Amino acid sequence: MGRFVVIGWFWLALVGAGYAEKMPPKPAQYFNDLAGVVPAATVSGLDEKLRQFERETSNQIVVAVFPKLETESSVQDFTYRIAESWAVGQKDRRNGAVLFVFVAEHKMFIQVGYGLEGALPDAICKRIIADEIAPAFKAGHYDVGLTAGVDAMIKATRGEYRGSGNTVGNGRSAFGIPAWAFMGLMVLVFILQILQSRRQGTVYGSSGRGFASGLLWGLLSSLGNSGRGGSYRVGGGGGGGGFSGGGGSFGGGGAGGDW
Amino acid sequence: MKSALSIFGVLLLLVLVLIVGGCGSYNRLNGLKQSVDKSWADVQNVYQRRADLVPNLVKTVEGAANFEKSTLTEVIQARQQVTKIQIDPNSAPNDPEVLKRFQQTQDQLSSSLSRLLVVSEQYPALTATAGFRDLQAQLEGTENRITVERGKYNDVVRAYDTAVTSMPARLYAGAFGFQSKPYFTAREGSDVAPSVNFDFGKPASAPAR
Repeated sequence: MGRFVVIGWFWLALVGAGYAEKMPPKPAQYFNDLAGVVPAATVSGLDEKLRQFERETSNQIVVAVFPKLETESSVQDFTYRIAESWAVGQKDRRNGAVLFVFVAEHKMFIQVGYGLEGALPDAICKRIIADEIAPAFKAGHYDVGLTAGVDAMIKATRGEYRGSGNTVGNGRSAFGIPAWAFMGLMVLVFILQILQSRRQGTVYGSSGRGFASGLLWGLLSSLGNSGRGGSYRVGGGGGGGGFSGGGGSFGGGGAGGDW
Repeated sequence: MKSALSIFGVLLLLVLVLIVGGCGSYNRLNGLKQSVDKSWADVQNVYQRRADLVPNLVKTVEGAANFEKSTLTEVIQARQQVTKIQIDPNSAPNDPEVLKRFQQTQDQLSSSLSRLLVVSEQYPALTATAGFRDLQAQLEGTENRITVERGKYNDVVRAYDTAVTSMPARLYAGAFGFQSKPYFTAREGSDVAPSVNFDFGKPASAPAR
């Protein structure tokens, strides 16, 4: 038994040595300042702006500011794999874009999903980085640079798609059950109720509600309240709920730069 | 008489099972082959995109005063080679030699292009122009796309090859015309896209490794 534990440790050590890379987990928000270089007011302002942008256009733009670059690969390759694993953008439109900033290395990269390559071609990404963001970063104003960068990305991608008025994060309930499932169940219960009241011969539904369906109805509506209206999730860091990737994919488009 | 009938019944059942199972397997292999071909078309697409960019780059660079001619002609020649390749863009090659030749020709263009970009750093009047910067960003982005699409291609080929060479399918995959397909190999000279690092002092040197 002890031998196995030792072998296990060896294996872990080997794996640890092979991958000095740390893949960051899925982001909780649209604007993620993990390096702590942006004032809280700017963070929540930009986060809300990007959430509203998804509601209007369905484009998902995410910003991730990391304290340092933890990979042995190139910035482009690393950020591509992160963006792909976060699945930013809607699945069918693949309209995601992620702005990565690595503070210690003074490097940044904009990864563009397939569906936004037309609106955010590489040359435009390069211009956004070199002309909008880098000058402010050089002067130490991260908030100014990131605000300008986000505005430029929003400006470039507006008009490409139309939004549903909702975000992917809002469509999923707190219990991980999609909103349409609640809707479907509600409709089912409603039909059951009508059938029941017809059998009982009442025209006015006041006493028509059977015990079972009544119980189900009550349960569902309470679930529905906490679920569908679940935009007020605890720790959501703002009114509209967190970020949730829609299943978009990336093809290596975009550009990088430094400051 | 009765036993002959039952043997016949069993045989019929066996044939039926084989046909149904074979159809399912064929459909699966066919689906995988379709995705390999689609991915191959994506790879061709990004390579084409690069070949289309080169004339613009050449024109821009030529305009710069006394630009070094040898790197420029190298790029022009490499692009000519690339456009001469005869390869079906809609169906992935079965022959490893064909893929190897394709890859060598394309990689030749990659390395001559990255050399050109490094050399152009010696011409600040050129690199300062917005036109050159845009082209450079497009070219780097295209190299990145090539790396990504090649990686995706290798992934689908891996799934396809596994299916073709796995045991039940292995017996009849060849008869249906499903052969295992070759992968792209890591690029000689650099395993990542030649994202040009301008800070390594010596220009005109090929990327190390």
